[in-house]
Amino acid sequence: MSTRVGTPAAVMEELTSPGRDAGNVEMMGTPTIFEIKGLNVYYRAFHAVADTSFDIHQNEITALIGPSGCGKSTVLRCLNRMNDLIDGARVEGRVAYHGIDLYGPAVDAVEVRRRVGMVFQKPNPFPKSIYENIVFGPKVAGWKGDFDELVEESLVRAALWDEVKDKLQQSAFDLSGGQQQRLCIARAIATSPDVVLMDEPCSALDPVATYRIETLMRELKEQYTIVVVTHNMQQAARVSDRTAFFSVDVGEKGQRTGRLVEYDATDRVFTAPAKKETEDYITGRFG
Amino acid sequence: MTDQRPDFHAALESLEETTLDMADRVEGMVAMAVRALVTSDRELVARVISSDNEVDKIYMDIRARWMHIMARQQPMGGDLRMMAAILEMNNTLERMGDQSVNIARIAGATAGLPREETILAKLTEMGELLKPMIRTAIDAFVRRDADECLLLPAMDAPVDVLNRSMWKHVVACGRDPELLEWATRMILVSRALERVGDQAVDIGEQVAFLMTGDHQEFLRYSEEGSDY
Repeated sequence: MSTRVGTPAAVMEELTSPGRDAGNVEMMGTPTIFEIKGLNVYYRAFHAVADTSFDIHQNEITALIGPSGCGKSTVLRCLNRMNDLIDGARVEGRVAYHGIDLYGPAVDAVEVRRRVGMVFQKPNPFPKSIYENIVFGPKVAGWKGDFDELVEESLVRAALWDEVKDKLQQSAFDLSGGQQQRLCIARAIATSPDVVLMDEPCSALDPVATYRIETLMRELKEQYTIVVVTHNMQQAARVSDRTAFFSVDVGEKGQRTGRLVEYDATDRVFTAPAKKETEDYITGRFG
Repeated sequence: MTDQRPDFHAALESLEETTLDMADRVEGMVAMAVRALVTSDRELVARVISSDNEVDKIYMDIRARWMHIMARQQPMGGDLRMMAAILEMNNTLERMGDQSVNIARIAGATAGLPREETILAKLTEMGELLKPMIRTAIDAFVRRDADECLLLPAMDAPVDVLNRSMWKHVVACGRDPELLEWATRMILVSRALERVGDQAVDIGEQVAFLMTGDHQEFLRYSEEGSDY
């Protein structure tokens, strides 16, 4: 899978070259994939995220939780340079991916986004057939290979194949919301990423579709690293291996700046958090 | 119907299996403790104590996993009742294990003392009465049988009767200091066995709650005219 999409920039080749030191081995013994140090994000004069440092580990599900405006989606978007697309956004500090500074001058943001895919809150399939939704990204990237095989493999991995294999040429809009979201996951993994970012992937879905996506996430983490932003604390508790809790500081003029309060194994965060702010949030005693 | 939460339900089933494993071990420990008393076998005493160390580890493991599931999975309905029943049963089984250790330690401490056959026969009988009780409680849990566990209070009644009559046999041992020392300790054994019977009934109550959702305490025969 890793050679499917061609012509990556030289620096990105280095990112995945065999034998490269994959980073620290920390509390759970899994290697670090992202190293975030002293991250500050601004939207023009607005300081959205302050002084955030934590590591994200390979083949784990990391959940980012916290109240509205705490910067969790902003941090998520820093992991595949999606903030570059926002006018006036500025990222300071270091976001290293496999040890390479993602914001370094030689790094190609398009290639970053191929390796670090994204699934959004609202299922957003292209107005095309199910088949075309899967092959679109690899085609644009110039991939030469068996597209039928790619479609089947991606849909199987996204646990959607059995439901759509007989209607691949139908519009993606004919699918239910939950199926559309799984199609978006299939589309994200069709370009052979090694990380999938998910921004509130279940907030537009009913409980059954939500459980289906959560089961899928646990299956996918065998092959991918997943970072999920969720408003739903219970979802973070159910699916993630580690949880980062963000909070908001409100300045004198009402300006709101997010910051990381606590980051630990999910078991720990939801049973015995180290910080009172986290305890207050998870027990509903905040605000 | 498709299980929408297979990982959670697998974790819950695994917790139930561990609870059953603990119950099987405790069942064996109670029988072993009575046998250690009757045979004065120090090796059996040591086996009861080492079994309890294992049971204590399982108890802690169940508590940790229980906490993990509650915090992360928010069980509802029958799953929530199962979680509540498992927590109660875990405590109850751990105490049954402790009672077995109490009996085994007394067996070890009294091994060289003279014994009185009537008392020993009564304690053996109590042990024999407890075997089907503990098995019934476990089977009712495995089979989710709310009717079967209703048998437990009646099965417990003769255990209580034997326990209540124990002091008379002890008094009848007379003034021989060594025999009296042995007999006095047998009151503690009798009391421990009586508690094990109550604890088997407690497990039955948890099964009834699991199946009906009603918290209920079974009528205890020992409460009527109890000596203590």
